[in-house]
Amino acid sequence: MGLESWLQEGALTTRVDEVIKWSRKNSLWPMPFGVACCAIEMMATLSSRYDLARFGSEAIRFSPRQSDLMIVSGRIALKMMPVLQKIWEQMPEPKWCISMGACASCGGIFDTYALIQGVDNFMPVDVYIPGCPPRPEGLIDAVMKVQELVAKEKRLGVAS
Amino acid sequence: MDLQQSAYDLVRARFPDQVLGEGIHAGQRWVDVRRERIVEILTALRDEIPFELLMDLTAVDWLDQGRPERFSVVYQLYSLTHNDYYRVKAWLPEADPSIATASGIWQSANWGEREVYDMYGLTFDGHPDLKRILLPDSYPGFPLRKDYPLTGHGERYDFPKHTR
Amino acid sequence: MAVQRPMRLPMEIEEQEEGDLGSKRMVVNFGPQHPATHGTLRTIIEIEGEIVTNMELEIGYLHTGFEKLGEFRTYNQTVTITDRMNYLSPLCNNVGFSCAVEKMMGIEVTPRCAAIRVILYELSRIADHILCVGLQAMDLGAFSIMLWSFIERERLYDIFEDVTGARLTTSYTRIGGLFRDVPDDFADKVRAFLVTGRKTLREMEGMLNGNKIFRDRTIGVNVLRREDALSYGVTGPLLRACGVPYDIRRARPYLGYDQYDWDVITEEGGDVWARYRVRVRELEQSFRIVEQAIDRLPDGPINVDLPEVVVPLKDAHNAPEGGMEGLIYHFKNYMFGHGVRPDPGEVYFATEAPNGELGYYLVSDGTQKAYRWRVRGASFYNYQPFAIMCRGGSVSDVVSGLSSLNIIAGELDR
Repeated sequence: MGLESWLQEGALTTRVDEVIKWSRKNSLWPMPFGVACCAIEMMATLSSRYDLARFGSEAIRFSPRQSDLMIVSGRIALKMMPVLQKIWEQMPEPKWCISMGACASCGGIFDTYALIQGVDNFMPVDVYIPGCPPRPEGLIDAVMKVQELVAKEKRLGVAS
Repeated sequence: MDLQQSAYDLVRARFPDQVLGEGIHAGQRWVDVRRERIVEILTALRDEIPFELLMDLTAVDWLDQGRPERFSVVYQLYSLTHNDYYRVKAWLPEADPSIATASGIWQSANWGEREVYDMYGLTFDGHPDLKRILLPDSYPGFPLRKDYPLTGHGERYDFPKHTR
Repeated sequence: MAVQRPMRLPMEIEEQEEGDLGSKRMVVNFGPQHPATHGTLRTIIEIEGEIVTNMELEIGYLHTGFEKLGEFRTYNQTVTITDRMNYLSPLCNNVGFSCAVEKMMGIEVTPRCAAIRVILYELSRIADHILCVGLQAMDLGAFSIMLWSFIERERLYDIFEDVTGARLTTSYTRIGGLFRDVPDDFADKVRAFLVTGRKTLREMEGMLNGNKIFRDRTIGVNVLRREDALSYGVTGPLLRACGVPYDIRRARPYLGYDQYDWDVITEEGGDVWARYRVRVRELEQSFRIVEQAIDRLPDGPINVDLPEVVVPLKDAHNAPEGGMEGLIYHFKNYMFGHGVRPDPGEVYFATEAPNGELGYYLVSDGTQKAYRWRVRGASFYNYQPFAIMCRGGSVSDVVSGLSSLNIIAGELDR
């Protein structure tokens, strides 16, 4: 008895939240903020051999208004930080951020006057990827971790 | 033709009172000159040798190294015709670190001098657009000077913090 | 004809009269975050309809402070940070730096080391040029060619990973030699790559050479004249596309380039099409050099036999069998105040990197850290004439021209 007995084969029931979260995590559109060497590894991940498109990230949107996952790949210099913050503000909610590589996460090997020692000092970051540069498998793992974060959200519409 | 010898002979013959000395290391020669007539020296080298390319323009800070002046502006010249390099170094005192611009002779000096101004604070008289090139316009201080610390004076923490 | 100079861009637009919208002349910002700028480049373009009347370039969005950092690192440590400058061909930076320090100290590397450095240098040049051609095609709409070039780069990354341990940040050379010898199957892997690389290059040429869209968007676009190129200090494929046959590998050979049989490539025209042809033909020459070098790869040691520069092998004379003296003799290289210490002096040494002349100006004060480390980045001087090259063209030509310059922001801003 119950609703399932009235439905045809191949239909299932679940909550609206779960459907939205499932579709959101399988179609994360990245905004590649590619700046330096990590950008080359990110481009390699988006290319044929490692193919991030398998995870739903087919549409690489360089426009922040049309994306929901920002991948900060590369060292962020003094001049670039305001640009990064402006692009982050332009992305609509819900949005997530991956800090790719050692330089974006903590300044990396460059402890100098001109480099931001980690973008998480000034911006919220969800996943960090260590490496200089991280292997493409590392970036794929980070995207999968973001997918887990999306699946665990409590309230829709606002990234927790 | 020994290009480096001819270049030195030209500078020595034409501007004998401007030459402070010459040097050699690893088979490469250079000439140290005063800054007063640098434009004429470089123009003569460009036209008569000829040195078609100004390969690089940079500066070195000789703080506490026992040199008579603190800054040296280094011009790396290359001659396509004779296939050899030559170096000209102009010396600037700490109290008044300015020199005439070479951007009227070679256009590559335009950005080279902006970078030297950005990193060392040396001014180039007559430069069409002398402003910072690599650091933000409002950056205080000149990083490549020897008395400037590697990690700066905290400018890299001076941004607003965005939270969710 | 006189050398063209850059003009200052008037940043304020004059007051418009009432009723006149003045929509013809606009100032448009292009970058620093834009899909068509390769890296963090910003240009401010003044356009009249579709025609570019003036342009101002702004750089510095990736300025890291390499030159200051180099004054606080020993010479072998500095090799690790040179990778990050031109990150498309990191081995070229490593080799150039090591050669500069070796020239300053008067060290001659062993024949095997020189041959391996040449092979890896040319493989990095292939990686850089093939990516530049791929990105040029992608900017004009041919996306598949970029994917093909990435596949070839992945094959090269496999070779680099086997030899150096890393795909991109290789840090392979040391002062006086190399980090370690190449593995036994190196020659087979390189020869296998040459076969597939040549095939992919032929496919890419087949797609682009006769393609009307590609030709229309590149021939006559973004012309750089010879006088402007020389005055702006332009080197590399950009200079050779203007007809000047200047290649440091032929003019002032290093690492034994004069023993291989290859040609210096020049083209006439100085436009985007000429630069594309120069890069494609240089790829063929690089394949030739690698083939000859791998056939003639000599045996022998890879490091020079100078214990104060290169760490000696652990054997009967050194640690651990040599006792206390052997141990000291072995690790003295790493002690603070010891290691590679060139005599006081200075040197300027340049190699022919894929983008042009990559020069290192080193000033040593006798200690283990450089007193001044200056990198003459090819992209820095190649980018400056972009403002005059775009004048009179249309906005879409800006994109086409920028991708043909192959500006690497890491080398531009350091």
